[in-house]
Amino acid sequence: MGILRSKFFISVALFAVVSSLLAIVRFGNIAPTDFPIRTWTGWAVEDFLSDKKGRPNVVFLGSSLVLVPVAGVDADYLKRPIDGSHHHQSQYFEDQFKKHSGIQVKTFNFGLPGEMPSDAFLITKFLLKGEKRPDVIVYGVGPRDFMDSLLPSPAATDPYQYLSRFGDVTSHKHLIAPEWDQRLNFELGQLFYPYGHNYDISVTADRTVTSALDKILPAPKTDKPYTIAERRLLFPQYKQMEIGAAEAFFRPTTPEQRTFDNANMKEYKKRYAHLNWRTFTHQMKFLADLMNTARDRGTQVILISMPITDLNRDLLEKGTWDSYKKSLKVLAQSKGASYLDLGDSKAFSITDFMDTVHLHSGGGAKLLDILAEKAAGDHRVMSALDPTNSSIAGLKGGQL
Amino acid sequence: MLFNSLQYLVFLPTVFLLFWLTPHRFRVPLLLVASYVFYMSWRPIYGILIFGLTLANFLLVPFIEKAVEQKNKKLILGFTVALNLIVLGIFKYAYFTMDAVKSTLGVVGIDWSAPHLHIILPLGISFFVFEFIHYAIEVYRGKPVVKNFLDFALFPSFFPTQIAGPIKRYQDFVPQLHIPVKFKWEYVDEGMQLILMGLAKKVLIADNLALVVQAGFTHPEQFSSLDMWMITYAFAFQIFFDFAGYTDIARGSSLLFGYKVPINFNLPYIASNVSDFWRRWHISLSTWLRDYLFIPLGGSRGGKWLTYRNLFITMALGGLWHGAAFHFLAWGAYQGIVLIIHREYEAAMQKIGVHEKLLQSKVYHWASVVFTFHVVCIGWVFFRADDMKIAGQVLTKLFEVPTALMHFSASQLAVLQIRDPIIFPALVLILPTLMVSTFVVNWLNNKKFYQSPPWAVQVTVMVALMCLLTIFTPDSSPRFIYFQF
Repeated sequence: MGILRSKFFISVALFAVVSSLLAIVRFGNIAPTDFPIRTWTGWAVEDFLSDKKGRPNVVFLGSSLVLVPVAGVDADYLKRPIDGSHHHQSQYFEDQFKKHSGIQVKTFNFGLPGEMPSDAFLITKFLLKGEKRPDVIVYGVGPRDFMDSLLPSPAATDPYQYLSRFGDVTSHKHLIAPEWDQRLNFELGQLFYPYGHNYDISVTADRTVTSALDKILPAPKTDKPYTIAERRLLFPQYKQMEIGAAEAFFRPTTPEQRTFDNANMKEYKKRYAHLNWRTFTHQMKFLADLMNTARDRGTQVILISMPITDLNRDLLEKGTWDSYKKSLKVLAQSKGASYLDLGDSKAFSITDFMDTVHLHSGGGAKLLDILAEKAAGDHRVMSALDPTNSSIAGLKGGQL
Repeated sequence: MLFNSLQYLVFLPTVFLLFWLTPHRFRVPLLLVASYVFYMSWRPIYGILIFGLTLANFLLVPFIEKAVEQKNKKLILGFTVALNLIVLGIFKYAYFTMDAVKSTLGVVGIDWSAPHLHIILPLGISFFVFEFIHYAIEVYRGKPVVKNFLDFALFPSFFPTQIAGPIKRYQDFVPQLHIPVKFKWEYVDEGMQLILMGLAKKVLIADNLALVVQAGFTHPEQFSSLDMWMITYAFAFQIFFDFAGYTDIARGSSLLFGYKVPINFNLPYIASNVSDFWRRWHISLSTWLRDYLFIPLGGSRGGKWLTYRNLFITMALGGLWHGAAFHFLAWGAYQGIVLIIHREYEAAMQKIGVHEKLLQSKVYHWASVVFTFHVVCIGWVFFRADDMKIAGQVLTKLFEVPTALMHFSASQLAVLQIRDPIIFPALVLILPTLMVSTFVVNWLNNKKFYQSPPWAVQVTVMVALMCLLTIFTPDSSPRFIYFQF
């Protein structure tokens, strides 16, 4: 019996045919904006793309290092709890910037927990364009963003899962899937439609089954319907990243309530252990590509080396802090970005932090004050925000 | 390296190609290297453990054969078995023993703080230690030793069966290594069919049921009695499809090299009594326990009570083999007790003289199948529970069922209330389907369907499985349950 009579190889050939047919009809495909699970990313993307939001002038990018203080400041400033799923602006910055520059800007806070430069790049490439192109991107980074040894690959973050569906990422596959098995996984996904689109197809299948079961076996009427909180108790690992509306609040605080806790030292020790220079250079490459993309579209980038505590900085391997700072400075200079180095700034003390890396709302207000003042004094930023600037105006609202 | 991983997707075809391109005399060394690569990909240091035990057994067991006097043979056998058991004991039962000692001392008022030994259980140790013991006992019983070290080394380390069996017999396995087999496409067809079926059992069925089981056995207080019965049924099918899936992949992987390893399951849930169940469930372990524990203890030779004692000890130790915890011991003891009760029941029925008539009745047979399934399911509660406390809570829930049935309403069922994940309400349809499918498979077996299934059916099934597996295989599927043993 030859290979042509082997049932297995005939099955593989038929599978390739079926796979191609499924690709042609785009079987089970769901829109990138269709978020089966609402996570911080889902809420932010939906809010950003909504028509009501219009075009923001200033977009904040970054991890929780940016998200937490920026949202926290607004809770204090507006004197009300801020719903993290819906509040994506910085009212405080808008007002401070107006005070310094006389210009009213509209902001959008795209800070997301765990956001890496790879994620920030995807946001910039796929979302911050056309009618949603901002004039200025403020990107706050910390050492963790470039040297998290707990992150297997850029594709492992929650933002990547959603953002990668908005466009083609093959040009960056060597950075997204650096290990051979990750690369194989990526290539198999490109080769076989059902594998590459298994998330979409399984979501569609899940919805179909749910809809059928709701008809065949409806949930019995009861006084106590099943809640998400109960589900979390039963399945702590299931849909871990899901955030419900009105579930994650930033609440107003007083200076007395803003206390420091170094509980995340252990976590960061693990994150900084066994520094992988390939991760560092790959994430720097994503940052460079973000800046290139923004520059090509006429968007000015303000890169901030975010303040972190000495305690956290001391956990870094010798020499890495200097390499990190030097890389940021060189990159910002070469790409024409504005650079705000607050990494070890004396303007911040340990009393401005809630833990070893995150500023609390008081520290956040200090950060936004400095940013508003510096941005207002930066002619490149002001020029980008100027609607009469001819070199930029031609790009306003236009696709690249 | 997991069978359901991308690493294995590369590893298996690579070894397969090298194997068939290599001359016959180099194939055993090739498989040996591949098997050590497979084992050491998890924790390289444990390669030394399996190699050390292999070398020790290879050097010691020939002394059993050479010894002239029976007394000396027994002595060397005892030493060899003890050595294997001590290694197993250190790695698997050290914490369990220390906990037991601590609890005992606590009863008499002594507070002993047990040292932390930093021991990580080596994968597959229970399986390869049992293979070594089998080898030593068989040589003691007069079977020949394996003269070639490479052949012997491949016997416990053969990668398809290395981590979770089936527990092989060296008389069946080693001679296959000497047959200069030529490549046949049938090996690929049959092997890959088994691998695909195994993956489907694991990924599509067992892993989905695992969600329900995990919730039920972590928070039994959240579920009603009827829910807990469904969750217990779900575990019965989860563990079957998980382990049978693993075995299929192991057998399929072996077949790609032209080697056959024993089957482990024969439709266990159509067993009509618990003895029958143990002839169908984890066959390679149950026959090992019979041959190397039950029979050496005296088997059925010493009268009723000694037989029952031997049965109980065998099953209790069999339970403990699964894991160093009281709930596994309780599961084994439960199996021993139900086997004894079954023997007593059969004897009583024979005495009354109605047994033959009843056996011939189909109603009795199917009622026995249903009853046996439930007896087995109650046992699974001990097996699945994390500890005896949870097992007690689940069993209490299960036995509340008459009250629940007396005032039944659908609103009692949490499985219908929980709509996300959807596997919960789907359970109401999936469980009967799985139960019925067991009988359908049995019927097809009896019709000899599996001996020569139609070509188109085989191809269609394989294509369908490829599609389903590529779509529904999650990024990280849980490990096979039997990997922990």
